Amino acid sequence: MKDRTNTGWIFVLPAALLLGLVGLIPLITVINYSFFEIFILDQRFWVGTEWYSDIIGSGRFWSSFGRSALFSALVLCIQIPLGIAIALCIPQRQFWIGLALAGIALPLLVPWNMIPSLWLSVLNPDTGLIGRVLASFGWTTDWKLSVIQTWAVLLVMDTWHWTSLVVILCYSALTTIPAPYYQAANIDGAGPWQVFRHIQLPKLQHVLLMAILLRFMDSFMIYTEAFPINAGGPNGATMFLAVDLGEDIKAFNYGPSAARSVLYFLIVLTVAWVFTKGQGKIDTPAPSGGRE
Amino acid sequence: MRRVLPFFKAAGLILFLIFVCLPLVQMTLISFVATLPRPDTTVGSLTFGNYANILSDPTLRSAFGNSIAYVLINICITVPVAIPAAYAFSRMSFLGDKHLFFAFIAFRITPPVVLTLPVFQLFSALGITNSVFGIALAHCLFNLPISIWILQGFISAIPKELDETAFLDGYSKPRFIWTFLLPQIAPGIAVTAFFCFMFSWVEVVFARILTTTNGKPISMAINGLFGFQTDIGLVMAVTMASMIPGAILVFSMRHHLSRGFKVGRI
Repeated sequence: MKDRTNTGWIFVLPAALLLGLVGLIPLITVINYSFFEIFILDQRFWVGTEWYSDIIGSGRFWSSFGRSALFSALVLCIQIPLGIAIALCIPQRQFWIGLALAGIALPLLVPWNMIPSLWLSVLNPDTGLIGRVLASFGWTTDWKLSVIQTWAVLLVMDTWHWTSLVVILCYSALTTIPAPYYQAANIDGAGPWQVFRHIQLPKLQHVLLMAILLRFMDSFMIYTEAFPINAGGPNGATMFLAVDLGEDIKAFNYGPSAARSVLYFLIVLTVAWVFTKGQGKIDTPAPSGGRE
Repeated sequence: MRRVLPFFKAAGLILFLIFVCLPLVQMTLISFVATLPRPDTTVGSLTFGNYANILSDPTLRSAFGNSIAYVLINICITVPVAIPAAYAFSRMSFLGDKHLFFAFIAFRITPPVVLTLPVFQLFSALGITNSVFGIALAHCLFNLPISIWILQGFISAIPKELDETAFLDGYSKPRFIWTFLLPQIAPGIAVTAFFCFMFSWVEVVFARILTTTNGKPISMAINGLFGFQTDIGLVMAVTMASMIPGAILVFSMRHHLSRGFKVGRI
């Protein structure tokens, strides 16, 4: 078991201070701004919670919230099962593992602001590799006018970009399963599904929770990649929460954008809280040993 | 069933790899095509000119330098700070450890766009905007929590007896970390550095607001290439070149990644 000692604080102090500087101080500043009307930064007027009631009362906030939630839900439904499946598909020979992992990791290395441009060029019906194939099924440049097609493009792009992370995380957990587990399953005559259900999935739990957390938040607050694809269109059908905030910041609405930031941070806190609860739940009903 | 399963697995993996590679193939193809008329090339012809232009353009060259500099600085800040913290989370239980972990997780998943304005103000007050150091520091917001998480998985995998024998021999905790623990978790440090690189190299929100005049990294240099007449071939060539350091890292790290890095809970 762990030692009970408060000297632990000395060890985490540098990390806490660093995050205090780049995280906590800016956060407190944002909370402070969110109660003011600010024209220029030296001149401000107290407005209380006006910005908050404005945002919460606006239909725009809730429709963006709904769109982001739907987008995240779809992203998780696609990427988590796909990530697990691909991780299970990675071959066992050392040489091929290296090649497969290196290939899978490539999308993670593309600068984020280039990803929309890359996909716009791939999907171009005249010149793109995928676009030309799709063109024979009636794909035209008009896809930007269709809500469903724009959403599909965003989902495919996000899946392309981030499934790799889920694969790498899942694969790392799969490799920690000792070989005797598989041998025992083999002797018992367990099929592939049973092996997955009773040996592989339990080992994946912690990593999956982390993968879900990262993927959920990053897709919920998708910003850099979402806007250039279709500028939030058609008719605002792809205006997500973070895109709204980005527009506020670009327009120098300090007060409202600060209030929006605080609201988003409250969402973040809720998600992190659910995450830690979930982590505790995974750990408590497993007294049967075998845990590291 | 058992005999066909490997074929399905191989087919699935190959399909996924093709999906992953398609946009990259497109990018590579365009990067070798002349897309703007120049005196010595015609539009549409095959050329290495785009890559030659990267080398001849001082802004692009310095952008590569800046990117490498801030990622290295970020790793040099993150890893030494994360190691003791990961050790504490892995081995000790102290007042508020759960809450602190909760706070760290919350900061990791806070979208950078939420903190852009105050981070810019704070860093201007400290005088570290428009420099690679500013970006490196800002990226600690998401790299530090993830580093602590990865490293504590590696430390937890090391038997506690190693600590106890060292303490009996009269080693202090910091000296134990330095002489015994570090060599043991060397692969973990490599994986951590790789993840820091991966999240930091491609990030754009902080990179954009913190570099308005100077210290622009590659992603911002690419943004600068878009304009009235965009040389898309050059854009693709720069993107391609920006992936090379990462690809080399992935390839050299493949054995660590493929042996699987330990992940656990705090």
